[in-house]
Amino acid sequence: MIDVQRLVKWYGPTKAVDDLTFHIPKGQIVGFLGPNGAGKSTTLRILTGYLPPTSGRATIDGHDVLTDSLNVRRKIGYMPESTPLYGEMRVEEYLHYRGKLYDMPRTLRNQRIDMLCDRCGLTKVRRRTIGHLSKGNRQRVGLAAALLHDPPVLILDEPTAGMDPNQIGHVRQFISELSGQHTIILSTHILPEVEKTADRVIIIAGGRIVAQGTPDELRKSVAGQGRVVLEVKAEPAAVNNVLRQVPGVNEVEARAVNGWCHAVVTPAAGKDVREPLATTLHRNNWIVRELRHETASLEQFFVQITDHQRVSAAPAAEREPEPTPV
Amino acid sequence: MQKTFTIAKRELTCLFYSPIGYLVLGLFGLGVSWLFFRSFGPGKAAWLRDTFDWLIWLLILLTPAISMRSISEELSSGTIEPLMTAPVSDLQVIMGKWLGAMGFFILLLTPVLILALVLEWTSNPDWGPIFTGLLGLVLVGGLYMAIGVFASSITENQIIAFIVTVFIICVLTLATYFLGRESSFPTGVRQALNYININARYENFSKGLIEIGSVVYLGSGITLFLFLAVKLLESKRWR
Repeated sequence: MIDVQRLVKWYGPTKAVDDLTFHIPKGQIVGFLGPNGAGKSTTLRILTGYLPPTSGRATIDGHDVLTDSLNVRRKIGYMPESTPLYGEMRVEEYLHYRGKLYDMPRTLRNQRIDMLCDRCGLTKVRRRTIGHLSKGNRQRVGLAAALLHDPPVLILDEPTAGMDPNQIGHVRQFISELSGQHTIILSTHILPEVEKTADRVIIIAGGRIVAQGTPDELRKSVAGQGRVVLEVKAEPAAVNNVLRQVPGVNEVEARAVNGWCHAVVTPAAGKDVREPLATTLHRNNWIVRELRHETASLEQFFVQITDHQRVSAAPAAEREPEPTPV
Repeated sequence: MQKTFTIAKRELTCLFYSPIGYLVLGLFGLGVSWLFFRSFGPGKAAWLRDTFDWLIWLLILLTPAISMRSISEELSSGTIEPLMTAPVSDLQVIMGKWLGAMGFFILLLTPVLILALVLEWTSNPDWGPIFTGLLGLVLVGGLYMAIGVFASSITENQIIAFIVTVFIICVLTLATYFLGRESSFPTGVRQALNYININARYENFSKGLIEIGSVVYLGSGITLFLFLAVKLLESKRWR
């Protein structure tokens, strides 16, 4: 449905998007993830035909975004970053205006607006002036406007920015329900958002794809896979010595915390050491108050890989801390 | 075409959401009435010619004030993004903006019509020059609005859009007026400058003449500036 080939975008001397290639099949929800300034919005703007790419090609449902822009624009519903809206219009009025721009007849408009106001939680503010709405409500108006003409492709640039946790939950659920008949690409720098809604995640940093896959796949590729954290009543040195001999254990870090020994055990790749650990602890007659398996979160992965990118991209001088003036 | 009107209607209604629209309407009504009643009384000519000749000068500041927000506001608030990613052509956007501004301008001229009715009530005016005068105002206003929409699509700053519009209008009116009288210029150049001078062209309208030359001149001016505005908007897709 969405096909991007070797996309490059220069803003004057800065390269915002650097050789991006990806393909999104119909009906998939793709999370576009990256730190601020990674080139997410630029890529989405190119997909909507708002910005031209410097080189490369992007097509939506077979229509080139550059040469067949009007057809592309009919197929997409776009919610720009920070949701610019006409502050002086009323919610309903704005939605009708948008509907007319998409050639929607009045009855269809009324029907869709009723449905979307209901689904997006706008029923109470339908008659209110957009300029007086809260940030979260404005976002919802933007979302309703993007969905109004029932587009097969939805491009949402940070759809939940500025919403409260409740609203985020609703929107997330709403987006999940839209999958199947809609192809959705949503950008965010908040990880849990894509972890829960997206079928696939594309992580970009510095304009390049640094990782992609399903949230599960990405989680698996996190270095160190997982570790076991335990707290026992014993001397850290003893714990360190004993646990190191357990088969499958790679490394142990033990330290004293308030009379307890807090140990972090890193297993060898692919090993589950919880059972042998428990047996060993039991054999030593140590009192255990905690034993848990910690799986690496996508968050750690995200930080790890985007941070790495930033470090390798930064000039050497920036990496050294400045000497503090005396 | 439908979408052009949709944009024009939004443009027009939005002028009335803010107090600015009413303020301009009120001040203009007041100004026109003052100009009218200065030359209204027993023994004076029952015409609007003096009013028209003053009005044409007022347009130099009035029309840019209406047109300056058209595209600039969309650019500065970012609403240009959802607009240009909707299936509307750049021509439809520009035409919609211009028609919306023209709608407001024509609304602005209603006090003139009321004043004409006052004349009708008190004496026996010649309606011909009143209509040609109004037609001229609409044509000249249309050109100024087209210049204004063009200037507005240059920048997201409304003040700059206003100044650029006033500047271009002044070149077409004041500059051509003074340079056209400069005796050191060859006659051909002076004639050309006088030909361009919009106020000189308007004089015939207020006298009651409809010159094909003037109509073509103003019409092609409108077309030129609207075309330039479309090209400017288009160029934003290429940057």
